[in-house]
Amino acid sequence: MIRLMGAVLIAFGAAWLGLGAAAELGERVKRLEALSAGLELLERELWERGSPLPEVMEQLSRRTQEPARTLFARCAQACGQLDREPLTDAWRGLVEELDGLGPESRAALLPLGEVLGRYEAQGQREALERARRALDRAQVRAEEEKNRLGRVYQILGVSGGGFLVILLL
Amino acid sequence: MERNKERAYEQALQVLPLSLRREALSLPPEDRGRAEELRLRCGQPLTAVLPEGERALGREPVTGRDLEQLLELASRASVHTVLTQLRRGYLTVEGGHRVGLCGSAVMREGEVCNLRQLSSAAVRIARSVVGAAEPVWDKLAGPDGALESTLVLAPPGAGKTTLLRDLIRMASDGVRGSPQRVGVADERGEVAALWNGRPQLPVGARTDVLEGCPKAQALMMLLRAMNPQILAADEITAPEDVHALVTAAGCGTALLATAHGREREDLSRRPLYRELMGAGVFRHLVYIHAEGGARRYEVEELP
Repeated sequence: MIRLMGAVLIAFGAAWLGLGAAAELGERVKRLEALSAGLELLERELWERGSPLPEVMEQLSRRTQEPARTLFARCAQACGQLDREPLTDAWRGLVEELDGLGPESRAALLPLGEVLGRYEAQGQREALERARRALDRAQVRAEEEKNRLGRVYQILGVSGGGFLVILLL
Repeated sequence: MERNKERAYEQALQVLPLSLRREALSLPPEDRGRAEELRLRCGQPLTAVLPEGERALGREPVTGRDLEQLLELASRASVHTVLTQLRRGYLTVEGGHRVGLCGSAVMREGEVCNLRQLSSAAVRIARSVVGAAEPVWDKLAGPDGALESTLVLAPPGAGKTTLLRDLIRMASDGVRGSPQRVGVADERGEVAALWNGRPQLPVGARTDVLEGCPKAQALMMLLRAMNPQILAADEITAPEDVHALVTAAGCGTALLATAHGREREDLSRRPLYRELMGAGVFRHLVYIHAEGGARRYEVEELP
């Protein structure tokens, strides 16, 4: 009986690992999508409404999904401490500390710190467009990876678990 | 009063990076109220401009990064919202303090669109002189207690804008009579110093301010849109300004304006002022004599 329970646990564990890895691929796509959508909103607010950066960041932190939400909320906080740390430095720290980003996404976001709040609206718009394009490319790759590897991870997890059970029993 | 002046100095320091703010606070409290400006020059220590001259406040030289940070603080990390002001060379910050900037201008289609490699900055501390118009009010008000059309003439730095602002405040708040609606054409933002839509200097509760717009246009817009009882404009410099004032006077609005002049004769010598005086739109002329640190007002009734 104990052997049977152990085998079932192993089967479930392996299946969970496989399904988890597949889900993580889907999450990565969602995060990139949320960041790109957040930057599009930021671009519109700065370009079309000419709003001050701290206000925009504050508003967007309430209207966007993770991880854009955290990025904007922390940036709004940093705007209240500009006498301690320039926004360029603060932005670098925020992007590096933001959870769940791959190196590509970080590389797309980092240059914004040199531009946001420092350039005229046109310059900021161009930089945001560049960052969005890079994020969109990363999203396409992430989706391809999800389609290619997602099912593989799921099958590997379930069948690997089954295989272990056979071996142990 | 002295404490207010000290407070204005401390408020102006909010645009400085923390390290420079600490240096600025090394100025003794008794001198803070006298400081007129703070000067930041790349490679030089921070200085305070006092009536007797500039005084260095620190040993560490100001860096380009300090100046970038100052611009970031003054613009609240939103240079795109203050470009019009930047093109003029200065920004107005909370409290009405003015941050003047120098550096390499970035030109686009013949216009300054930004400043890069900042080289120096001047933080001019705004201090309103509430009560400056008290000594002249009675001579400028009509029998009904309402302010009559007045031109203020004085050389630069004698306090024209200070007197104009306090006249506006007294009329708008009804300090000595019924309150009046005042429209202010504040082309350079020196009279009311709007910040986030709020005047940072006392111009009264019934005052409408149109900032950053050429005076002649602003006077006409205020006249059409805000139905003012008094229209005010600082520094009449162009024939269009004179025409706008004449039109406004024709609509029954009282006028308040200032003009640069070293002596009374300038009004008849300069063609622009001659035209203004010829139109007969002003009832009173106030000439400001700056003698040492004190000011003396001379009021003349115009024909």
